[in-house]
Amino acid sequence: MNAALGHAGVLLALLAACAGIVTISAGLVTGRSAPLERARVYPYLVLGGLVVATVAMERALVTHDFSIAFVAHDNSRETPLLYSVTGMWSALQGSILLWALVLAGYVAFAAHRFRRRAADPVVAWALLVCLVVATFFLALMLGPSDPFAATPGAVPADGTGPNALLQDNLLIAFHPVFLYLGLVGFTVPFGFAIASLVTGRVGEGWLSETRRFTLFAWAFLTVGIVLGAWWSYQELGWGGFWGWDPVENAALLPWLTGTAYLHSAMVQERRGLLRVWNLSLLVATFSLTILGTFLTRSGITQSVHSFSSSGVGPALLGLFAAAVTAGVGLIGWRGDRLRSPGSIDSPVSREGAFLVNNLLFAAFAAVVLLGTVFPLVLQALDNQALSIGRPFFDAFTVPIGLALLFFMSVAPALPWRKAAPGVLRARLAVPAWIAALVLVGCVAGGVRGLTPLVAFTLGAFAASVAGRQLVLAARASRRHGTGAWRGVVGRANGGMVVHIGIVLIAVGLTAATSYAHSTELAFRPGQTLRFDGHVLTFEHWSRVVTPSEVAYTAVFRVDGGRFAPGIGSFNGSAEGTDIPAVDSSLVDDVYLSVGNAPSSPRPGQGVTVDVYVQPLVLWLWVGGAVTAAGAVLAAIPGRRRRPTDPSSVALPELADVRRVPAASTA
Amino acid sequence: MRLRTGAPAGVADGAPRRTHRARNSALAVGALAAVLVAVLATRSVPPGSAAYTPLGGKPAPPISGTSLVGGRHVSLAALRGRYVLVDFFASWCVPCQEEVPQIERFLFEHRARHDVAALGVDIDENAADGRAFLEQYGVTWPSIEDPSGAASVSLAYSVVDPPESYLVAPDGTVVAKIVGGVTVSILDHLVAQARAVAGLSGARSR
Repeated sequence: MNAALGHAGVLLALLAACAGIVTISAGLVTGRSAPLERARVYPYLVLGGLVVATVAMERALVTHDFSIAFVAHDNSRETPLLYSVTGMWSALQGSILLWALVLAGYVAFAAHRFRRRAADPVVAWALLVCLVVATFFLALMLGPSDPFAATPGAVPADGTGPNALLQDNLLIAFHPVFLYLGLVGFTVPFGFAIASLVTGRVGEGWLSETRRFTLFAWAFLTVGIVLGAWWSYQELGWGGFWGWDPVENAALLPWLTGTAYLHSAMVQERRGLLRVWNLSLLVATFSLTILGTFLTRSGITQSVHSFSSSGVGPALLGLFAAAVTAGVGLIGWRGDRLRSPGSIDSPVSREGAFLVNNLLFAAFAAVVLLGTVFPLVLQALDNQALSIGRPFFDAFTVPIGLALLFFMSVAPALPWRKAAPGVLRARLAVPAWIAALVLVGCVAGGVRGLTPLVAFTLGAFAASVAGRQLVLAARASRRHGTGAWRGVVGRANGGMVVHIGIVLIAVGLTAATSYAHSTELAFRPGQTLRFDGHVLTFEHWSRVVTPSEVAYTAVFRVDGGRFAPGIGSFNGSAEGTDIPAVDSSLVDDVYLSVGNAPSSPRPGQGVTVDVYVQPLVLWLWVGGAVTAAGAVLAAIPGRRRRPTDPSSVALPELADVRRVPAASTA
Repeated sequence: MRLRTGAPAGVADGAPRRTHRARNSALAVGALAAVLVAVLATRSVPPGSAAYTPLGGKPAPPISGTSLVGGRHVSLAALRGRYVLVDFFASWCVPCQEEVPQIERFLFEHRARHDVAALGVDIDENAADGRAFLEQYGVTWPSIEDPSGAASVSLAYSVVDPPESYLVAPDGTVVAKIVGGVTVSILDHLVAQARAVAGLSGARSR
C-alpha cells in the first residue's frame, strides 16, 4: 500500500516533469507563448507527486511497514517516533527522495514567482533546466535507488533500525534537511544562469532577481554546515568538529563558490561588471553540489559518510559531466560576446576588494577540491593510496582565511569605483584602533602564537568595521524617521550582521584549534581530579534504559555541574556508541568522552575518560546563528526597494551619482 | 529554435577589442573537468587498494595474543611460511563487515595449497564489541584484541582508519598495505605479484 502510493507519487512527478520539458521545448521551438504559459502547471504537479511519495515514505516509517526494504533496513519497532520520521534521510534512497522533494519545492516556487513572465524565454529556459535536473533525480528513484523497493523474501518481524549515530541526537533531524535546502537551492540560480547564456540576455537583472534564491540557499547551506559540525562534535566523541572529511568538503565547496557569487553579484548589479565570472560561479556552485554528492554517495572516497555502493554513482557523475559541459560550453560559445565593456577603475575600490575576495574564495575552493580529489587522481596515475589530512588543508586554508578576514574588514569601508584619498583613513581609523587594542589585550592576557594573534586582530578589525556600518545605518534610518531597527534590515546591513557571525566563527575556530588541551584521566568513584583549570569529580555509574537504547553513563561533576558521558547501544546491538557530554560556556568547553566503558560496570568500578578542553567552541554555534539571522535580515527588503536595474552598461555618471554615503550602500 | 540571440544592447558596440578570454578559460576549465570526470569514472568503487607503507619490504612487527573467540594463543610468527593477511578491523566499521566474505573466499580458494592465512586485529576499544562482531559475521580465522599502550599492534603498523590490512610474505616481511575493504581479486593479485617479485629476486641472487 505504502509502496504503491510512493511509486505512484514518484511516477506522477516524473511524468509531470517530462510533460513540462516537452511543453516548454515545444514553446521555445515554435516561438509560441501559449505552451510556455501552460507549462507553468507542471512544476506544481511534480511537487504534488513528491509530496505524495514523501507522505507514503513517512507513513511507512512511522507505522513500521517492513515490507519496504528501506524501512526494514533503517527502522525498527523500537525506534522512537522522531527518529522514525528522520529515518527518511538516514540512508541513500530516502535522501534522494528528500533531495527531489526539496528541488520540486524550489522549482514550484520559482514557477510561482515568475508566473507572470512565464512566456519569457529566460524563465522558460530556466524552468526547463530545473525540470531536467528534477527528471534526473526522479529517474534515479525509479531505477538504481528505489526508496520503495520491496523487501526481498518474507517480511521481517522487526527491522534493523537506523545507524546508532543517527538516533541519539536531535540535530540529525535538522542538519541534513538544512544541508539539502542549501545544496538543492542552487539549482534555480543555475537554471537562470544557463537561461541567460542561451538567450544571451545577461545584463537584464535576472541574476539580481534570482539573488534571493541564492541567498536563501546560501543561508540554509551555512546553517547546515554549522549544524553538521555541531552534530559531529556532540556525537562522534573525538572532541573535534571538522575533519576535512570528503563529505564536509563536499558541502564546503559550493558554500565557498556561493559566497564568492553573493559578493561578485553586487559588482554586476552596481557596475555591470564580472558578468561572465558570475555565470561561471553559478555553474561551478551547482556542479560542485553534484560532484560533492557523487563523491560522498558513490563510496569512491574513504569517508565516515560513505554509504555502500550503488548504481547512483555513475549517474551522478554523468549529471556532473552534463552540467559542466553545458556551462563551460555555453560560456565558451557566448562568453566573449557577453563580457562587459567596462573594467574596474581602481584596485582601491569596493569592486576591487570584491574581485580580490572572489579570487581568494576561488583559491580556497581550489585547495579544498584538490585536497579532496587528489588522492583519487594519484591513485589513478600511480595506483597508490594516499590520505591527505589536516596539515595539507591547514597549510593553505589558514593564510587564505586570514587574507579573507582582512578584505572582509576593508571592503565594506571602501566606496564604489575609486576611493578618494583620506576616505579609508577616516572610515577605518576607529576599527583599526579597536583591532590594535584587542591585539594588545590578547598579548597582555597571555595569548601567544602568530596565527591566533593575527586572526583575533583581524577578527576584531572586521567585526568593528561591520559594527560601524550598522551603527551608521541605524543612525541614518533614525534621521529618516524610520526607526533605528531599520539599521540591521536590508541587504547591506544584513550582510554586516553576517560578517559579524563569520568573525565569531573564525575566532572560535582559531581558538578551539590552537589552544585545545586533551588528556586521558582515570577515576575511582568519588575521586576528584583537576585538568586545565577545571575540577572533575567522578560520582558513580548509572544505567539508562529506554525501549531502543541501553546506556551506561558515568556521572561526573564538572565545576559543580552534572554531566554524564557514556556508552549506549541501540536496538540490542552489541556495538557501543560513544555518548560524549559537554560542559559548554562562552569561555571554554570541557568535553568528556568515555572511550572504553566496561560492558556492564559494577557500582564501585572506576572510569577512564578522555577530556578535551577547548576555548571558545560555543562561539562557533553562536556565530552560525548570527550568520543565519543576518542572512534572514538581508532577505528582508531594506529602506530603499531595489529596482531591477538594467545595469547592462557601466555609466560612469550614474555610478558617480550612486556614491551615496557608505551607511546605505551595499 | 527561435531565440533572442544577439548581444544585448550596449554590449556589442561597446567592446571594440574582441579577445577570446572567456572562450579560452572555458576550454581550459572544460579540459580539466573532463580529466577529472575521466579519472572519477574509471575509479572502481573502493575495494581497498594497495597503499604506500614505510613498512614495505621490512620485517612485519610481531603480533601475538589470545584469540578473542576460543581463547587460543595466536601469533604472526607461528604463521611463517604462508602469506598472511593481517586484517585490522573494528565492529563499527561497515566495510569491515563487507570484507568478511571476501576474506573467507580467499582462504577457501587457497585451502588445498595451504599457502595463505589470515589474522585479525580488533581495534575496538572494547573487546566485547570485537567478540560480538566476530560471532555475528561468523569469522573463522583467529583474531586478537589490539593491546593498549606501547604494545599496540595498530600503532606499530600505523593503522588509523579500519579497514586497513597488511599482506605479510612467507618470510615475514611486509608485502603490501591495503586501505579499504579487501577483495579476493585484490588479494590474489597482490599474492601473485609478490610471488613474481620473490621469484625474480630469488633468480637474481642465485
